[in-house]
Amino acid sequence: MRRNKVVGLGAVAASLALILSACGSADTDDKADGGGDECSGKIGAMGALSGPNASIVIPSVNGAELALKQFLAENEDCDISLEKFDSEGDATKATPLASQIADDPEFLGVIGGAFSGETRATKGIFNEAGVTMISQSATATDLTTEDPAAVFHRVVGYDDVQGAAVAKYLSDAIGATKVFVIDNSEAYGEPLADKVKEELGDLVADSDKTQVEQTEFSATISKIESAGADAIFYAGYIAEAAPLIKQIRDAGIDVPVVFPDGVYGADFPIAAGAAGEGAIVTCPCVPIEEGDTFYADYEAEFGEAPGAYAAEGFDAMTIFLEAIKSGATDRGAVEEFVDSYEGEGLTKTLAFDEKGDVAVENVVIWAYKVQGDALVPDQEISLD
Amino acid sequence: MLEQLGLLVVPLVAWDNLFSDLPGHTVDGLTRGAIYALVALGYTLVYGVMRLINFAHSEVFMVGTWAVLGIYTVIGAAEGDALWFVIVATLVALIGAMLASAGTALAVERIAYRPLRKKNAPPLIFLITAIGCSLVLLEIFGQVLHAFFGEPFGRKTISIPSLVQTEQLIGPRGSLLTTDAVTITNLQLIIFLGAVGMMLALDMFVNRSRLGRGVRAVAQDPDTAALMGVNQDRVFMLVFILGGAMAGVAALLYTMQFDITKFNIGFLIGIKAFTAAVLGGIGNLRGALLGGLLLGIVEVYSSTLFDSSWADVTAFILLILVLMIRPTGILGESLGKARA
Amino acid sequence: MNVLTKVPGTLAIQDRWRGMSRLTREIIKAVGIAAGIAFLVYLPFLQVLPFAQIRTDLSSRGASWDAVLFQIVIYMIVAVGLNVVIGLAGLLDLGYIGFYAVGAYSVAIFGSPSSPVTEWAVQKFGFAEGWAVPFVACVPIAIAFALLAGVMLGAPTLRLRGDYLAIVTMGFGEIIRIVLRNVGEVSNGPQGIVEIPSPPGPKVINDYGVEVDLFNRLDHHYWYWLALAVLIVLIILVRRLENSRVGRAWLAIREDEDAAAIMGVPALKYKLWAFAIGAMLGATAGMLFASHQTAITPNDFQLNLSFLFVAMVVIGGSGNMVGAMLGAFLITYLPERFRDFQEWRPFAFGLALVLVMIFRPQGLVPSRRRAAEFRDRKIEAEEAATDA
Repeated sequence: MRRNKVVGLGAVAASLALILSACGSADTDDKADGGGDECSGKIGAMGALSGPNASIVIPSVNGAELALKQFLAENEDCDISLEKFDSEGDATKATPLASQIADDPEFLGVIGGAFSGETRATKGIFNEAGVTMISQSATATDLTTEDPAAVFHRVVGYDDVQGAAVAKYLSDAIGATKVFVIDNSEAYGEPLADKVKEELGDLVADSDKTQVEQTEFSATISKIESAGADAIFYAGYIAEAAPLIKQIRDAGIDVPVVFPDGVYGADFPIAAGAAGEGAIVTCPCVPIEEGDTFYADYEAEFGEAPGAYAAEGFDAMTIFLEAIKSGATDRGAVEEFVDSYEGEGLTKTLAFDEKGDVAVENVVIWAYKVQGDALVPDQEISLD
Repeated sequence: MLEQLGLLVVPLVAWDNLFSDLPGHTVDGLTRGAIYALVALGYTLVYGVMRLINFAHSEVFMVGTWAVLGIYTVIGAAEGDALWFVIVATLVALIGAMLASAGTALAVERIAYRPLRKKNAPPLIFLITAIGCSLVLLEIFGQVLHAFFGEPFGRKTISIPSLVQTEQLIGPRGSLLTTDAVTITNLQLIIFLGAVGMMLALDMFVNRSRLGRGVRAVAQDPDTAALMGVNQDRVFMLVFILGGAMAGVAALLYTMQFDITKFNIGFLIGIKAFTAAVLGGIGNLRGALLGGLLLGIVEVYSSTLFDSSWADVTAFILLILVLMIRPTGILGESLGKARA
Repeated sequence: MNVLTKVPGTLAIQDRWRGMSRLTREIIKAVGIAAGIAFLVYLPFLQVLPFAQIRTDLSSRGASWDAVLFQIVIYMIVAVGLNVVIGLAGLLDLGYIGFYAVGAYSVAIFGSPSSPVTEWAVQKFGFAEGWAVPFVACVPIAIAFALLAGVMLGAPTLRLRGDYLAIVTMGFGEIIRIVLRNVGEVSNGPQGIVEIPSPPGPKVINDYGVEVDLFNRLDHHYWYWLALAVLIVLIILVRRLENSRVGRAWLAIREDEDAAAIMGVPALKYKLWAFAIGAMLGATAGMLFASHQTAITPNDFQLNLSFLFVAMVVIGGSGNMVGAMLGAFLITYLPERFRDFQEWRPFAFGLALVLVMIFRPQGLVPSRRRAAEFRDRKIEAEEAATDA
C-alpha cells in the first residue's frame, strides 16, 4: 500500500514537472524579440566539459564564471547568467548545442568553441543567428581566414603566431641548428608543426608524424638519433608528450625539448615525472603568478591553481559583461560593441581586427620551463 | 595531384634509415611485439575455448597497470630505491597486477558472459556485451572512482614511478658489451624475456598439466569433453584467469617501460593485440606469440620507412594480406590440436 | 507485433485482426503508417503537454531538438544499412564508419570550393574561382565511391568467416580514417574540409526576417524532413529487397552458408550485394551528415562510432529494421535528453548495454524469426544443462 502511495506522489510530482517544463518550452518560438530588460541576458560557454579533453577546457570556463561572479557582486541589479554546454569536444555533438544557443534570443554571446574543430563546425550557425563568439582557446589559423564568419573573435594568439614564436625561440634562445620537429597528426599539431618548419627553414634536421594515443616512440627516437638533432619540438598534447619525453631521455638524448600550449598545464610536469625537468612549454598566455589577485580569487573559488586558458576565459567573459553593461540588449548591439572593443585584459591588450583576431603585436607568447611539479615562467618570446 | 604518388615511393634516405640500424629496429619491434603477444594470449585463450572475442580484455590490461600504480603507492616505492627493494616491489607488483587483471577477467566472465551462455546467445550478443563491459571498466577508472576518490583516478595521464632505470646493456654506452651494431637496454631484455618466459610457461601448462588437458579438451569438442567429465564452467573460468594473468604481466612490463597509465590506455593495445592474435591464428597460443612479434616488428619498420602515423595502416594491411592467403591466420586455429 | 504476442490479452486483438478481410487490414495498416509519418513530420513542433517532455531543449543548456532529431534520423539510416549487413546477411561489420566517412568525404572533397581537389581542378582546367561540383552531382559520386569501397573491401575479404571478417572490417574503417588524415593533398588532412554544400532548395524567410536557403544552418527541421524522406524511401527499398529473392538468399547464407551453397545460392555474390547495399546506405547517411555539418574532420569518424553502430542494431533487435531504428533512436536520443548527467553518461551507457544484452539478448524488438531462434537456442541450452 505504502509503495503505491509513493508511486502516486511521484506521479503527481512528475506531471507537475511536466507541466512546468512544458510551459517553459512553449515560448521557444518567439525568436524575433531580443533580451528585453537592460543589463540582462545569457552567455553560453561551449566546449568539452566531460571526457578525456575536459581538463584543457574547464579552467577557462571557470575563469569566465569567476568574471561573472565578480561582476554580479559589483552590479547587483544585473541579471546575467553563464550557461555551460558540454560538446565533449565533438563537432557532431556541438552542432545541436550551437543551434540551441542560436534559437534562444536571450543568448547574447557565446564563449567558445574551446577547440578548433567544433568552432569550425558551428561558427556558421552562430554567424547566421548573429551570436557573437569569443573563443578563449581555438587557435587554428584558418578559423579567421577560410570561410570567415563576422561574429567570430578570439582572445588568444593563433597557431601561426605561436609557430613563429616557437621557431624564434628554437633558433635564438636555444641556438639550435638541427631541430627535429614532431607533430601528432591532429588539426592542432600538424599546422603548428608545419609553421615551425616553414619558419625554421634549413634549421630543420628531420621530422616525424605520430598519432594521438600513441605511447611507444622508438621509431621516432631512432630518427632523432640518426638526424643528430640538437633540439626537439613536439606539437601535440600532454597524454603523448609525457611518454615521449620520458623515452627521449631514456634513450640518452639530452637536447632541449620544446612543447606548445597543448602541453601547457599543471598535469604535464606530473605526468612526465623526472624526465620532464627542464622541458620548455610555450603558450600564448601570460604568466599568472601566485601573488596575482586573479590567481588568489580563482584558487579561493575553485580550490585549485588556474589552469590552461583560465585568464583567457576571464577576459572573454569580461568583454561580454562590459557589452551588456554598456546597454547592449540584443545580439546586434553586442556584436557592434565587441567589434570596436578596446581594453586591457588580464592576458593582453584586447582589440579585434576585422578578421576577429587580436593584433599580432598584442599577442604575448611566453616560454615556461618545467621545474619540479610546476611550469615556471622563463621568458617572454618577443615576436619582432 | 602527382605528389600523392610520392607516398608510395619511399625516399632512399628512409631505406637507409631502416637498414643502417636494422638490428636496433628489430629489437625495438620485438619489445613492442612482446607486450602485444602477452595481451593477445588473453584473446586467443578465450577465443580458442569459447569462440568469443572478449573485447573487454583491453580493460583487463588497463586494470593491471592501475594495480601496479596502487602497489607502488602503498609500499612507497619510488625512483632511486635500493636494488633489493626494487626487486621485491616489482615482484609484489607483478603478483598484484596478475591478481587484479585475472580478477577483473573472472568478474567479467561471471557477471556478463555466464548468463548469456546459459541462454546460449549467439556470438554477436557476447560482442556487444563485451563492448559494454569495456565501457563500464573504462568509466570506473575515468569517472566513478574519480567521483569518489579524486586523483589519481580520472581522465588524466598518470606517472608511475620508474623503479628500474633504463640502462644500455649492449650498445655504444653498453655496460656488458660496447658495440655500435645494436642497442639493447635492460628493460628491453626484461620485457622480451619476461614475455616469452610467461608464454612458454603457459604453453607448458596447457599442454602438460591435467587442467591444461581439460582446456584443450573443451577447445576441441565441448560436448565430448563434458561427457568425459570435464567441468566446462571451471575450464571457462580457468581460461579467463589465465588470460587475465597474462594481461597483468603485460601491464607490469608496460608500466616498467613507459611509466604511465591512463583510464583508456588499454584501448589501442587491445586492438593491436587482437590484431596480433588473428594474425598468428586466433585460438593458437604460439600463433599469438608469432603474431605479436611480427606485428611489433612490422610497425617499427614501417614507422621508420614512413611517418609513425602510418604504422596502423601498415599493420592492418599486413593483416588483410595474411588473411587473404591464409584465412585462419599464419598458424591457424588450433588450441585443441596437439600442436599448441 | 510479435512483442505483444506474449501478453495474453492481445490474443483477442490478434484474432480480430486475423478475422478482418484483407482489404480492411490493408486500409488500417495504411492509415496507421500515414498517421505515424504525419506524427514524425510534426515532431519538431511538438509542444503539447505532456508529450513535449521528450524534447531535448527543455533545460536552458539542452540541445536543439530539431538538430538532435536530424542526427537521430541520420543514425537510423545508418542502422537500416548496417542491419542489411549484420541482421540480414549475418556479416559482422565493425568498420561501417568507413562507408559513412566515404559518403561524407565524397561530398566534401568534390562539393566544397575550398577542398584541395576542387582547388586543383580550378587551377588545372581554368574554372571560375569558387567552382565546385554541385550537391546534386555529388550524390551519385558519393554512391559510386561507396559502392567501390564496398566491393573493394568485400571482394577479397568476404571469404573469411565471422570473427575474421570482423577484425578485417575494423581495420578497413581505421585505414579509411587514417588515410583521410594523412593524405592532406586530397582531404586537407586533420583540419578537414569546410564549406560543404547543402542540397538545393527554394528560398525561405527565416525567424530573423532574412531570406535564406531552405537548407540553412539554423532551421534544422528542414534538414530533419529531408532526412526523414530519405529514410522512408530507403526503408521501402530495403523492405522490398528483404522479401525478394536476394533477401531469401541472405537468410539462407546467414543460417548456414554451406547448405545455401549446396542449394545453389552463390554465397559470395549475395554477400557482396549485402556489403555494397550497406555501403551505399552508410554513405547516404554520411553525405547528409557532412552537408548539414558543413565542416568535417577525420576525427568525426573514429572507430568507437563503428561499435556504437553495431550496438544500435543489436540492442534494437538484429534482423529487424524497426528494432535497428529503435536502437539508433535510443542510443542517440537518451544521451542528449539526459545532458544534465553529463559525466555519468558513458558509464550508464556501458551498463545499459550489458544489462539489455543479459536480460534481452534478442534485442528490444527482435525479428520474429530471430526471436524463435533465440527461444530454440535457450531451450537447447536448458536441455543440455539437464542432460549433463
